[in-house]
Amino acid sequence: MIRLYDYELSGNCYKVRLLLHLLGVAFTARTMDFHPGREHKSEWFLKLNPLGQLPVIDDDGLVLRDAQAILVYLASRYDASGHWYPRHDAVALGEISQWLGFADALTATAGAARLHDTMFMDADIRKCRAGAHGLLRILDEHLWFAEQAGRPWLCSADHPTIADLACFPYVMLSEEGGISRLPYPAIRRWGERIKHLPGFTPMSGIFPAAAVRSPAGSPPTPG
Amino acid sequence: MNPSQPESVLWDDWHPVGELAQLQRTRILHTMLLGVPLTLVLAADGTIRASGTGSLCHGPLQHVDIRYGLVWLCLGTPGRDIVDFPEAREADRIVCTGGSVGVAVSGLRAVENFLDLGHLAFVHAGYLGEEPHTQIHAYKVEPLADGGILATGCRVYQPHPSPMDSEGFDVDYIYAVRRPYIVELFKANPVEKERMDMIALLVQPVTEERCVAHILMAYPPHNVDVGSLRWFQQLIFGQDRPILENQIPKRLPLDPRAEVSVRADNSSAHYRRWLASVGVRYGTVPAGAT
Amino acid sequence: MNRWFAVSACGEVPHGAVAHTQLLGQELVLWRSASGALNAWENRCPHRGVRLTLGDCVGEELRCQYHAWRFATGSGHCTHIPAHPGQKPASNIRARVYPVFEDGAFIWVNLAHDAVPPNAAAAPPGLALRSIFTRAPVAAVTGQLLHGYADHAVCLVDEFTLDVAPAAHRSVRFMLQPVTGEQCILHAHLHGEVTALERLSVLKVHNALMSAVRDRAEAARA
Repeated sequence: MIRLYDYELSGNCYKVRLLLHLLGVAFTARTMDFHPGREHKSEWFLKLNPLGQLPVIDDDGLVLRDAQAILVYLASRYDASGHWYPRHDAVALGEISQWLGFADALTATAGAARLHDTMFMDADIRKCRAGAHGLLRILDEHLWFAEQAGRPWLCSADHPTIADLACFPYVMLSEEGGISRLPYPAIRRWGERIKHLPGFTPMSGIFPAAAVRSPAGSPPTPG
Repeated sequence: MNPSQPESVLWDDWHPVGELAQLQRTRILHTMLLGVPLTLVLAADGTIRASGTGSLCHGPLQHVDIRYGLVWLCLGTPGRDIVDFPEAREADRIVCTGGSVGVAVSGLRAVENFLDLGHLAFVHAGYLGEEPHTQIHAYKVEPLADGGILATGCRVYQPHPSPMDSEGFDVDYIYAVRRPYIVELFKANPVEKERMDMIALLVQPVTEERCVAHILMAYPPHNVDVGSLRWFQQLIFGQDRPILENQIPKRLPLDPRAEVSVRADNSSAHYRRWLASVGVRYGTVPAGAT
Repeated sequence: MNRWFAVSACGEVPHGAVAHTQLLGQELVLWRSASGALNAWENRCPHRGVRLTLGDCVGEELRCQYHAWRFATGSGHCTHIPAHPGQKPASNIRARVYPVFEDGAFIWVNLAHDAVPPNAAAAPPGLALRSIFTRAPVAAVTGQLLHGYADHAVCLVDEFTLDVAPAAHRSVRFMLQPVTGEQCILHAHLHGEVTALERLSVLKVHNALMSAVRDRAEAARA
C-alpha cells in the first residue's frame, strides 16, 4: 500500500491526498510533526528526502518526492480513465506541465505568505503577496475565458487534470497569507467546481461545498 | 499617534510569547506582545534576555520566565503568578505544546471560539461533531473563585473526539476561562473515563487585531504520543482559523446588541460580560463605542 | 449614497452561486438561490460576524459556515438555528439586505435601504464584457478612459459611467464600481449584435483593451 509522509496543513501534501481520494486509491498516512517538531528536517527523514520537504510517497519501495512529480506518477499509474494525466495527448501534457510550474510559483508566493503569517517563517511578505496577486490575476483571466469556451478547467480538455489539483490548494488557502480573493470571481467558481468533483476531500482551511458534505465520512487516522 | 498603555489587567499579567523549543533552535526570536515589539535571546546559560522597543516599553525587560515549554513575559509589574495548570504537573501525563499559530483576529475572538459548542458539528464535522447531532442542551456557566468563568454540563456527540482511534460517544466538556486570553478545556478521556484530557488555549495578544495561539496539552498516557496529539490539535485549529479570520469586526464586540446571541451562546455571553466587568478593552469593541 | 451601481454581470452569479464583492467599502455577498432569486446582503452573519461568503447556498437559503444558521432569500430572515432545532428563530434575527435588481446584463445594487429598483430597467441587446478589477480609484480609471479607447472618443455620462462614441454599429458603455477609495471594478457592456462565431474574439479584444486601461491606471498610481 502507498505510504504518504504527510502533514495535514501542507497544501502540497493535500494535493496528493486529494488525488488519491479522487482516484479511490487506498493509502496510509505517516503524519509528520512539521510544526513545531520540524520532523521533515530530522536525520531519518533526510535519508528519505535530502531536500527535507513534504510530501514524499513510498509505493512498494518506490520513493518519490515533490508534490507535482507525485501527482504525475499517481495519475499515470492508477488512473484507468487516463483523464487526470492524458499520457498520449501532446497538447494536454504541454499544458499540464505549464500549470505544474505555475503551481510551484503559487507555493513560492501564496504558500510562503501563509507560512509567514501562520508559522512565522522568514519571507519578504509584501513581495510574496504581490507575487501571488500577479499569479491570481493571470489565473482568473484564464479561467474566465475557459468558462466562456465551455471548458472551465485549467487545460483545454473538457475535464479536470492534475493541473487543477496542483494549483487548487495554495489558491484556496491564499487568505491565510493575507491575500484576498475578492478580485477573482472566476477563481471562486473554479474552486466550487473542484469541490463538487466526486470523491473530493477537504483539508483544514478549505471547507467542503454544502452539497458534498458527507456526515458519514470517516476521518483519517494518524499512522 | 502615540499608542496608550493597555489596561493593567493585561499589562501587569503574564502572557506566553513563544515556544521554548523554537527559541532553543533559533537562539533569537522576534515577536510582539500588546503592540510592543519584543526580542528574546537565549543565553548560553539557558536564561532568556528580553527587550522591548517602541514608545510603550523600551529596553530590557525584567519579567520573563519559562513554564510548560513556553516563554512567558510580563511587560508591567506582575500582579499575580503565571496561570497554574495542575494537570500539566501530573507525572504520568503526556504534556506538550501544540505548535503556535498566528491568526489575524483579536485573541478574544479565538478564546470565544474555543468556548463555542454550536460550531463543532459543522466546522469540525466528522471529528468533534456531526449532523444531525446539532442540538446544544442547556449547560451551566458560573464565575470562578479567583476570577474567570467556568462552564460545566456541556455534552456533545463526537464521532472522533480525540487523537486516539476511538468510537464516537457523548463527550462531557468543562471549560475554564482562567484569564482574559487563557482558557482550558477538559474532556472525558475515551479510555480512562474518570480522568480528563486537558487542552489549554493560551493566546498571545500581538495587537488588538492579531494574535498567536499557543496550545498546551496534558493527556493521560493511553495510545497517544506527541506527534498524534499535535496532528489532531493542528487539524482542529486549522479548521477554526478561516472562521476566525473572517469575523467582522476583528475585535470582540462587548455591546450585547452588536451580535445576536441564543441560549447555546451562554458561555460567550458570560465571557463578554466578564471581560467588560474586569475592564478588558484591548482587543474589544467596547460597549457604547460605535 | 442613494445610487445604483453595477456590481457584476448576471452570468457571473449562476443559480446556487455565492459571490463576494464590495461597494464603497461595504462588503457584500451576492447570491442566487436554486430557483434563481438574486440577493445582495451585507457580508456578515448577525450571529458572530462571520463573512457569509464563506457559506453556501442551500436551496432557497444561504447557510453560514460557522454555525449553519440559515437565512431566507428575499427577506434575509433567519429560518433555522441547528443548536436549537425545535425552535423558530426570533423574527429580529436577519441578515442585512440591500436593494438589488438585474437588467438582463448586469446586477445593480443600491446601499440606500429604501431605494426602489427602477421600472422597466432592461439593458439594450448586447454582450457583457469581462469585468476588470483595478487597484486604482474610479477617477484614475475614468482619467485613462477619457484619453480614448481604441482610438475612439470617450465621453463622461456621469462620475461612474462613460460611453464610447459609437463605432460603426457598436458602442460600449463603461460602468465603474467603487470598491474602496483605492480600488474599483471596470464593468462594460457592448451594445449591438454579436454573432456566436465572433463572440469569443470580441471578448478577448475588449479584455485586452480594458486590461491596458487598468495597467495604465495602476501604473499612474504607483
